[in-house]
Amino acid sequence: MIQRLLPFATLVALFVGLAIASPHFLTGPNLSTVIRQTTVINIMALGMTLIIISGGIDLSVGSILAFGGFMGTLSMQKGYSIPVAIAIGIAAGTMCGLVNGTLITRLKVNPFIVTLGTMGIYRGVTLLISNGLPVHEIPLKFAFLGSGTGIFDIPIVLWILLVCAVAMHIILEHTRLGRYAFSIGSNPDAAFYAGIPVAFNITSVYAIAGGLTGLSGMIEASRLMSGQPTAGQGYELQAIAAVVIGGGSLRGGEGTVLGTLVGAFIMGLLSDGSDLLGINPYWQQVIIGAVIILAVWLDEVRKRRVTS
Amino acid sequence: MLLELDCIQKRFGGVTALRNGTCTVKAGEVHLLMGENGAGKSTLMKIVAGMISPDAGEIRFRGQPARFRNPAEAAASGIAMVHQESLLAPHLSVAENIFLGREERHPLGWINRREIEARARRIIERHTFPLQAEAMVGKLSPAGKQMVEICRAVEQGSSLLIFDEPTSSLTDSETREVFRIVQELRLHEVGVIYITHRLEELRAIGDRVTVLRDGETVHSCMLNELTTDQLIQHMVGRAVNSLYRREPLPPGAEMLRVKGLTREPLLHDISFTVHAGEIVGMAGLIGAGRTELCRALFGIDPIDAGEVQVGGKTVRIRNPRDAVRAGIALVPEDRQRTGLAIDLAVAANITMASLRSVSNMGFLNLRRERLLTTEQGTRLRLKYEGPSQLARRLSGGNQQKVVIAKWLATNARVILFDEPTRGIDVGAKMEVFETMDELARGGAAILMMSSEMAEVQSVADRILVMRQGRIAGELPRGASQEDILRLAAFEEKVAS
Repeated sequence: MIQRLLPFATLVALFVGLAIASPHFLTGPNLSTVIRQTTVINIMALGMTLIIISGGIDLSVGSILAFGGFMGTLSMQKGYSIPVAIAIGIAAGTMCGLVNGTLITRLKVNPFIVTLGTMGIYRGVTLLISNGLPVHEIPLKFAFLGSGTGIFDIPIVLWILLVCAVAMHIILEHTRLGRYAFSIGSNPDAAFYAGIPVAFNITSVYAIAGGLTGLSGMIEASRLMSGQPTAGQGYELQAIAAVVIGGGSLRGGEGTVLGTLVGAFIMGLLSDGSDLLGINPYWQQVIIGAVIILAVWLDEVRKRRVTS
Repeated sequence: MLLELDCIQKRFGGVTALRNGTCTVKAGEVHLLMGENGAGKSTLMKIVAGMISPDAGEIRFRGQPARFRNPAEAAASGIAMVHQESLLAPHLSVAENIFLGREERHPLGWINRREIEARARRIIERHTFPLQAEAMVGKLSPAGKQMVEICRAVEQGSSLLIFDEPTSSLTDSETREVFRIVQELRLHEVGVIYITHRLEELRAIGDRVTVLRDGETVHSCMLNELTTDQLIQHMVGRAVNSLYRREPLPPGAEMLRVKGLTREPLLHDISFTVHAGEIVGMAGLIGAGRTELCRALFGIDPIDAGEVQVGGKTVRIRNPRDAVRAGIALVPEDRQRTGLAIDLAVAANITMASLRSVSNMGFLNLRRERLLTTEQGTRLRLKYEGPSQLARRLSGGNQQKVVIAKWLATNARVILFDEPTRGIDVGAKMEVFETMDELARGGAAILMMSSEMAEVQSVADRILVMRQGRIAGELPRGASQEDILRLAAFEEKVAS
């Protein structure tokens, strides 16, 4: 139990430590920067949690983010209203996820390979459509999504994250889809033998994750106030890392929303803290890499103890 | 004397696999090792081949006391085992497999392909095997793979070869090929131990036979001194379970009818019926096709021909979903691999196949789920801490109950039990039988696959016997183990 709380304890310790070490940490502007920076990864990571629980992986989310963001901003350039454009961005992401899920279940090819392929395909398609050029003609009001504040002066992105997190928690713990994801991830053979429609559920899982990534793409576009066809490179690995630090297992069947949120914030605080303390950004990469290995190793130790 | 085994004993945890394994083998003889499923044949041979170590007893090889700590030591002394499941590297060539691990050492780690292929060809020619030294092993037939294993053994200079049911996955012509090889080896003064059930086929080549029963050598003699009936009598006689006797019911309406079910090359023209309230036992030796029949009925493997009717209605079953919808349930042979998600809660496992009944518009009703779980738990006398306990933490018998509970929750009318008591203790076995009885009384039709004849004998109302993918015959309740074994292993029809 104590070790299950380890990611959470780490986050608290990190928070307190940084508050003591740097006077700039506990200030409104800094905290809202951390939140804004982390949210994009965090929303993607929520979808990734669902995928990883079902025993899969999605390496294409970075490319989906760029595709969704680009399609959304492109539609604004073409004159669509902001809400419609956001919906288009989410729909574009969902479609990419649907394609991933369909390929994985129909071709029966390992998700790692399928999404490694679609990572290139979605990125390439985005670059082809955009001709490599970003979209800049965006209504100024669109900035509210990434930079605005909502009720209680809390950044809108945080509200969006909260809504998504609660929704994902409900999916995982209170719907058939979530339960089937756990069952398939925990033992695909037993799930198949139990008559669970495996292909349909797997496809749904990837589609939902794609939709969340499309939303992340729109937030990213709003933060940058442009639709960048090269956005989101390397984000897939950060999203996977957040899930894994939060206790998700790449073998499937394990993972929680709270764990993933904590995992994403640990990474966010590490990079923010390094900036505040003037640590060389090259070292940041080393630190975050080491934290990922450490977190998974501690989790393995815990599980081995539980099993024996 | 090439090999002498004296009073070998082996226990696995609380289970005694071998009580008294005694056997002698001469050079140039083919020695048959016979016995029912689980009699201890394979365990004894694994001890000889150094794969497991005995708890007590003496092994003498060429007159010298021997104790092999691993297969490599046994191989170095000249003992090799040809396994049922091939242990070769499928992506390497025949020649590379023959010399795997014993290639000529070259300072740069270089392997002279031409040289090993030439040497492999010489071995192959000596035995006139239909093999190509440079062929990829993965593309060979099962018989071809066995020939490669034999070449490997010969190349090691083995003087004792152990065959563990080598023909169970072979076609008739491949089987003849293996027999020819065995004869060939005998001429080369190699000792052969041959584990098998198919005595009739082997009369021609076997010299002597040793029969094991319940981990004990019960008889050993020249093969031509024994009639088939005498042999069967030595093999059976395992204690019938006196603790459990099922009170049969008058069977109700027909629930399951299978007509001409065929799946090449494993199942041929299988037809039978099971009625409501009936427990039909399906006996047969390992490899007879019982598990394959379960898989075909449950839609896991496609069938080539045949019809299945549930409750008088013809159903098309293409996958387990169709089977579940048709009211069929399968308690599979391998609980941990296909029956349970051991890292999920007991409740999640129990409702896995019936999640719709505890959910509304896709949302789970967790309270109803807990209720269903405790209800099934009480019904099956499940020993657990609560619905959220992980299935991993339960004992084997209780895990089996969770699998059964999963199917009870679907209200299936036809329940297939594949080896339902494998790996669970005696007390839990009784409870599984009682559950089956209770289900039958509730109107379910039950088909139980079991390799334990005593179990089939004490539980089943009717006994179907499978042999080599066919129904070899049907026996009434209480048929003797001799009758079952005769159908399972030897004759086409039993004279009654």
